[in-house]
Amino acid sequence: MRARVLLIAVALFALLAASASAHPLGNFSINHLDRLRVSGDRVDVTYILDQAEIPTFQERGLSSDAVLAKKRAEVERGLVLTVNGARVPLAVAGPGQISFPPGQGGLKLTRVVLPLVARVSHPRSVQLHDGTFPGRIGWKAIVAQPGSGTDVHSSVSSGDPTSGLRSYPKSALRSPLDERDATLSVKPGNGSLTAPKGPDQGEATTHNRSGDGFAGVFADAAAGRGVLVFFLLAALAWGAMHALSPGHGKTMVAAYLVGTRGRARHAVALGATVTVTHTMGVFALGVVTLLLSQWILPEQLYPWLNLVSGLMVVVIGAAVLRKRVASSQFPVPSHHHHGHHHHHPADGGRRTADISPKGIIAMGASAGLIPCPSALVVLLAAIAQHQIALGLLLITMFSLGLAATLTGLGLVVVYANRLTSRINMSGRLVAALPAVSALVIVGAGCVLTAHAVPQLV
Amino acid sequence: MAAVFAVALVVFMLVNRGSRVHDTVSDADNPAALVGASTDTRIKSFQALVRAHPKDSRGYGLLADAYLQKVRETGDASYYTRAGAVLHTALRLNPRDPAALTGASTLALARHDFRGGLDYAEQARMAAPYVVKPLGDIVDAQVELGRYAEARRTLHLMVDAQPNLASYARVSYWRELHGDLPGAIRAMKLAVSAGGQAAENVAYVQTLLGNLYFTVGRLDDSREAYRTALARFPGYVPASAGLAGVEAAHGRFSIAIRRYRDAVARLPLPQYVVALGETELAAGRRAAARRDLALVGAEEKLLQANGVNTDVDLALFEASHGSPTRAVVLARRAWAQAPSVRSADALGWALTRAGRPAEGLRFGHRALALGSRDPMFLFHAGLSASAAGRAGEARAYLARSVALNRRFSPLYAPRAERALAEMAGGRLQVTG
Repeated sequence: MRARVLLIAVALFALLAASASAHPLGNFSINHLDRLRVSGDRVDVTYILDQAEIPTFQERGLSSDAVLAKKRAEVERGLVLTVNGARVPLAVAGPGQISFPPGQGGLKLTRVVLPLVARVSHPRSVQLHDGTFPGRIGWKAIVAQPGSGTDVHSSVSSGDPTSGLRSYPKSALRSPLDERDATLSVKPGNGSLTAPKGPDQGEATTHNRSGDGFAGVFADAAAGRGVLVFFLLAALAWGAMHALSPGHGKTMVAAYLVGTRGRARHAVALGATVTVTHTMGVFALGVVTLLLSQWILPEQLYPWLNLVSGLMVVVIGAAVLRKRVASSQFPVPSHHHHGHHHHHPADGGRRTADISPKGIIAMGASAGLIPCPSALVVLLAAIAQHQIALGLLLITMFSLGLAATLTGLGLVVVYANRLTSRINMSGRLVAALPAVSALVIVGAGCVLTAHAVPQLV
Repeated sequence: MAAVFAVALVVFMLVNRGSRVHDTVSDADNPAALVGASTDTRIKSFQALVRAHPKDSRGYGLLADAYLQKVRETGDASYYTRAGAVLHTALRLNPRDPAALTGASTLALARHDFRGGLDYAEQARMAAPYVVKPLGDIVDAQVELGRYAEARRTLHLMVDAQPNLASYARVSYWRELHGDLPGAIRAMKLAVSAGGQAAENVAYVQTLLGNLYFTVGRLDDSREAYRTALARFPGYVPASAGLAGVEAAHGRFSIAIRRYRDAVARLPLPQYVVALGETELAAGRRAAARRDLALVGAEEKLLQANGVNTDVDLALFEASHGSPTRAVVLARRAWAQAPSVRSADALGWALTRAGRPAEGLRFGHRALALGSRDPMFLFHAGLSASAAGRAGEARAYLARSVALNRRFSPLYAPRAERALAEMAGGRLQVTG
């Protein structure tokens, strides 16, 4: 536990430190990306601008509103959308976002995200020409995304190796993309997109999905990332193994089922409930992040999120610790099970309690409500990597593994009855372990919080 | 298990960033077919060549050469990084690959690491004694390190072996440094007519020819040369900046400023920013000049952060527009690393501006020791001599600085003339 938290904390530090280094495409560069999505009645373009240190410095003294207005004017001038052979005006669909992330030499960068939309009817051919910032070096790209109610064949790739101009391919065998034109042929359809996977490569078809974060993950997997499958399986296995470590309510599950003379379906229901509630806190954090990132620039969001997650880990650790201390002060018959289940001591007096669905949910929730710090840490690492969708997917797999183990354990208990309750796991060291692990959680939370604060001031 | 998983996850996410594109290009196995092809085409083909033969150092050498050419054409320094990585691989595969050693030399010189560049070029020369290209890098390094006699011998070897654009252009520069401006112009014309593989190469020597015409005051020829360069390579920033200089020399400051501003917007290299700021100062737009010249300070920070050595240019900038004390530090370092006439001029001017004109004038003499007729060298030496109380010498230098081109700089040429007039006035008063 300690080793894992430390390793991930170290990885996080390294990543955050790296974000303040040189602009990979040179201090002069102006990089921009258009995300193009053609639907039956509208064309959406998200214009993303990543401007390096020197051009940002040249605009110093201007207010951020003035800079944003300047960029908007440049986009209105340079971005030309042609639908069915006629030019269609692109209207600004929102205020746009501007931020100034730190760059090299104490200078700043400029990052702008500008949503644009054009109302169209029955688009058959769509061309986008990005003539913004002519003659300036940098990464210039257009990526196509699946729309709704259309079947699109695109000349430009659907993949963006820069994750929205946040990181650039480092391979020395690749030149920065210089793509300013996209041609799409459109038919009515169900939100499918056929696009080249990359320059000079075959085509892949992706489909529109409600949460495009997940869609991205699946698209990546479809683009031949066998590694992803491995990681999903590994997450599943880890979840299964992890359920065996202290503090996951499995002893409580066992005790409950033993105490109530539960049956197989109760074991399944209880295992599932524990897992769902157990992962819910982690999951909620990820979903909130995804939603917020629609409205707030991730650069502005992540420092706050880092702070919140750091504080959350501290609180969780403190809560666990408090419980440990409380349970050691008020020894209950079941304390040697070292689970956080003193609400439901498995003493003989309650063995005759009825099993109701409500009881099982309450039981599972009380056991699983405290999020598992390990799962949280994986999600935080994914957030730091701007790979929230992947993180959520991994957490899901992790939960499934957890559920499998808990349910399996429950089933064993149900069938072998009373066997588990006789296993004696007491002993000083084992008794102290939960408290130590709680302290480690608090420590990790403090480290994460301490690192998040300087980013905000 | 869990720790291994977590670390592997982070590694996977890092590696996964941007490893999505795998392009393949045919007809790349024949580099000879690419003579005359555009730099982008060559880059694409050599990238494919390297992917097809990843264990062959030669492909990496060709690719690095194309990357370095790309920087010349666009100023996109990210290609230096790519070239560096590719050359590293090439030299790991074969430490004696002549093309890779030459590329490493060119890259080192581009980063103003003249000793490192010389070392690589000499290794390339040893690995392939009959290849001419490393000689160009050896000449450049020797000139920048102030070893002019050695440079002359190398240059002879180079011209004899291959009288082409690269060798003629270097002959021209060598003559210019020694004050033979007509000879320099003749050699540069030969470089232009010799032609080159890439359009940018010809545009470059045409721009250099324009600069020479400007120095000798043939402003119309100068403008013509820049226009030809722009026709050859549209949007070529050095030629646009040259045209701006011609406009400034004609006193058309608004047009000049507009042109410089355009050049700076596309390629904000310190030299163009300084030219813009100085033209604005000449036009009396002090606030705009201050604003623009502050950009040089920002670039200084970035260059330092990137470990690029531009001490001479920054020393001159600091001496004229910033802190003379800092200028002295920078120029001393430059002089210690590469005792060339350029660093002598910078150190001399910095010392004079820092209030030590006698010392400054000594370095001014060194800057002019080869016989250079560079108007800026002469202007600096003239003001140093004047501040050191040597009026006769000062008059001579200042008169020579404006002799060829009365408007060699929108800011400094009028100052030189004013200083001359003051000295003449002073003498009249004394004698009268």
